Amino acid sequence: MKKDLEKVRNIGISAHIDSGKTTLTERVLFYTQKIHAIHEVRGKDGVGAVMDSMELERERGITIQSAATYCTWKDYDINIIDTPGHVDFTIEVERALRVLDGAVLILCSVGGVQSQSITVNRQMTRYKVPRVVFINKCDRTGANPKRVTAQIREKLNLNAVAIQLPIGLENDLKGVVDLVTMRAIYFEGDNGEIIREEAIPAEMQAEADAARETLLDAVSMFSDELMEAVLEGNPTEEMIHAAIRKGTLALEFVPVLIGSAYKNKGVQRLLDGVVAYLPAPREIENTAYDLDKNEEELVLESDPSKPLVCLAFKLEDGRYGQLTYVRTYQGTMKKGDTIVNSRNGKKAKVGRLVRMHSSEMEEIDEAGPGDIVALFGIDCASGDTFTSPDISFSMSSMHVPAPVISLSIKPIDNKAQGNMSKALNRFTKEDPTFRTFVDHETSETIISGMGELHLEVYIERMKREYNAEVLVGAPQVAYRETITARAEFNYTHKKQTGGSGQFARVAGYIEPLEEGEYEFVDQIVGGVIPREFISSCDKGFAGSLAKGALAGFPVNGVRCAINDGAAHAVDSSDVAFQLAARGGFKEGYLKAKPVLMEPIMKVAVEGPTEFQGAIMGSINQRRGMIIGTLEEGDYTVVEAEVPLAEMFGYSTILRSLTQGKAEFTMEFAVYRQVPRNVADEVIAAAKKAQEKK
Amino acid sequence: MLKTDLIAKNPMGAFSRDAAGNDVQRMGLVMARPGLGKTAILVQIALDSILRGKQVLHVSIGETLDKTKVWYDDILNDISANAKQEDMADLHLEVSRNRMIMTFNASTFSRPKLEERLNDLIYQDIFRPSCVIIDGMDFSKVDRKTLIDMRDLQKEANMSIWFSAVTLREAQSETVVKHDMPAPCDQVDDLFDTAIMLQPESGDEGKIFLNVLKDTTGCVAPGKSLRLDPTTLVVWGSCF
Repeated sequence: MKKDLEKVRNIGISAHIDSGKTTLTERVLFYTQKIHAIHEVRGKDGVGAVMDSMELERERGITIQSAATYCTWKDYDINIIDTPGHVDFTIEVERALRVLDGAVLILCSVGGVQSQSITVNRQMTRYKVPRVVFINKCDRTGANPKRVTAQIREKLNLNAVAIQLPIGLENDLKGVVDLVTMRAIYFEGDNGEIIREEAIPAEMQAEADAARETLLDAVSMFSDELMEAVLEGNPTEEMIHAAIRKGTLALEFVPVLIGSAYKNKGVQRLLDGVVAYLPAPREIENTAYDLDKNEEELVLESDPSKPLVCLAFKLEDGRYGQLTYVRTYQGTMKKGDTIVNSRNGKKAKVGRLVRMHSSEMEEIDEAGPGDIVALFGIDCASGDTFTSPDISFSMSSMHVPAPVISLSIKPIDNKAQGNMSKALNRFTKEDPTFRTFVDHETSETIISGMGELHLEVYIERMKREYNAEVLVGAPQVAYRETITARAEFNYTHKKQTGGSGQFARVAGYIEPLEEGEYEFVDQIVGGVIPREFISSCDKGFAGSLAKGALAGFPVNGVRCAINDGAAHAVDSSDVAFQLAARGGFKEGYLKAKPVLMEPIMKVAVEGPTEFQGAIMGSINQRRGMIIGTLEEGDYTVVEAEVPLAEMFGYSTILRSLTQGKAEFTMEFAVYRQVPRNVADEVIAAAKKAQEKK
Repeated sequence: MLKTDLIAKNPMGAFSRDAAGNDVQRMGLVMARPGLGKTAILVQIALDSILRGKQVLHVSIGETLDKTKVWYDDILNDISANAKQEDMADLHLEVSRNRMIMTFNASTFSRPKLEERLNDLIYQDIFRPSCVIIDGMDFSKVDRKTLIDMRDLQKEANMSIWFSAVTLREAQSETVVKHDMPAPCDQVDDLFDTAIMLQPESGDEGKIFLNVLKDTTGCVAPGKSLRLDPTTLVVWGSCF
């Protein structure tokens, strides 16, 4: 299979929740003839949209996991990743963006640029993803694509210019005017599949002329040829397309398309836009680190004959065994090839190779550069790089945030116990932000993640997919401890209980570390602590960090230094020095003024202006710090930083305060010291809980 | 330590307190043509109050929340360039705690709206500003009545309100000599206690001066002039 790489597009579709991503993807699959009927997300036919393959997703009408889908449009191969819109699942969005070459950012023509769109846009900027904007839901009451375009420029700071104008709006939405071809386009037939082109309606001519001039002004910056042609008055369609493409790829221009996926308007033109303006795999520079050459950074080439480099970006443990989604960047992967996981050097054989279409799949024999495919039976973690055996490259690692919330779960019976372990094993492999461990003191299983909904979804999935019913404890905030002062210690560990004794003395200091979790400093001179026991001290300190003496939470941001000590020729051992270091840490810790730290969330509440006072009041009651407000007409956004501990159950309270008209999003911002009075309560509660054990 | 130093060194302190350090409430106005540093001056005036533990409401018209925040962060970094990193983190946090930003579209901002927002904040005990900055109001469209209302609000709530105004380029040179207000503020000059004008030195675009046109509070003598750092737009070091 020789494929023209210029005709491959790897794109993501991301947006604010409820902007219609899944509906749009469904339409794309319909027009590219991947599916033969359209099912609505919350449709009455009970089938649900194809992309929402998990039962839970269909029921809640939200997309939790991104499913990779492949389709063809006008002999271009398009791989689409449908990404979730809820902030708790951002890791999915980030992972998807890492492997994509371009993206479609969907905005609602009524809601405009909402907080989640800002987050998604920031992520796209971080991964340098060229994007086109699709302003969806133009059939809705209050639709105003012009206002939304202005918001993209202001709030997202993008050079966004409309390349289409709507013909009619809200209920009267009939089609669009293409400002490049200067033709009116109508979408007819039951499913909008018949496209009719006509001259622009006379009453829209002046508006279209003005909008085209704005477009030409903006894009002629990217092409001297176009600029000359514009001055001479004869720009061609090809020149304009080329200039839009150039600006888009350079991340300096964002074409704005409009339509309504639900009403089947504008989707085919969006596909044309994807093909015309978003990059082919070869046009994006991807880099990897050569592990053989001291992690030297090098650029990968989209050449099928080069050694293979691919990235596993998503794992799924389904009914067919473990499925690993990979994106190939360089070289070709064939059935039967041997590939190496560069993280651990493990070899694996490529067995079945498939292209995914939501939960259905298509067998293929090989995958070339730019392909997104799935492998069977490969054991790895997401984010691992696979290469040909002759090279050792690693793609840069992905940004994985630390979990901020945890809760305890307990299986209701023995059967559930086994199923629960299976489920947890799979979820932790699939999702790096979801973690689990057993608290040895209580024998409880603790799961932690990025938010209440994040954990709720996993508990729900355990029940549905693994038949593992669990009792769920109250959510716990992932507090941390840290020290605020320097303190000395000098500890001797001595034991003489018959037989060989134990002896070690360790002296030094602990002090706050500005960045990072832990640092060990060896300032021993003259060999007062023998070389072989230095690492034992390091181990002892590191082991003390798991549980702080203040309230039993993990300790962060500590530098432990040793500068003196003593050893005994017979009685000193690895264990003795580890225990001495632990003793020393304990001695210094309480003197070093330990404090409690808590996760602070960046919260954005959006709602009608009339509720602004109530919203601000509710944030203030939650120890929140209001950063600011943004008022636009009848709509207002309050941005604040609020401790996670105070955010439990906020959605219910917000709903009742605002008659259900406001919504909020939050994401982790920073760890900050807990105020004295609150800290006392938390510490008391933690001590009480420990006593119970 | 860092904070006391910053307060002592802030020449803009003279626009919010007297020599003894007590707050002096006023209606203030910073005028300049676009791009000379009105916002930077307002932020420095705000920072003086914030660092002294007072709360400041910054109303930004036609500007985004993030951009307004960046003004504060940048200026704070500029004026405390040699400070230790951990002290800076605390300082930024303290500034965020004592500052609230409200952004409005030019079309949605009005005096009743501001009063409503202030009442929301004060009655619920969320925020009690001792100074309100109103940046970006179009003085060519503001009538006298609105400013009289603002002045009443300022007196009632016993706080300062500082405005920025864009002056018309041609109006600058001759009127300033008489220490009068340039257009479009010349019709309302009696409503302000303090008025500052930023001007590039004629013939030298690199130098920007801050001229005090008027001050009825007695804290600063009219006619005083200071120089701005043209890259950071910050006035620093020398005191009145």
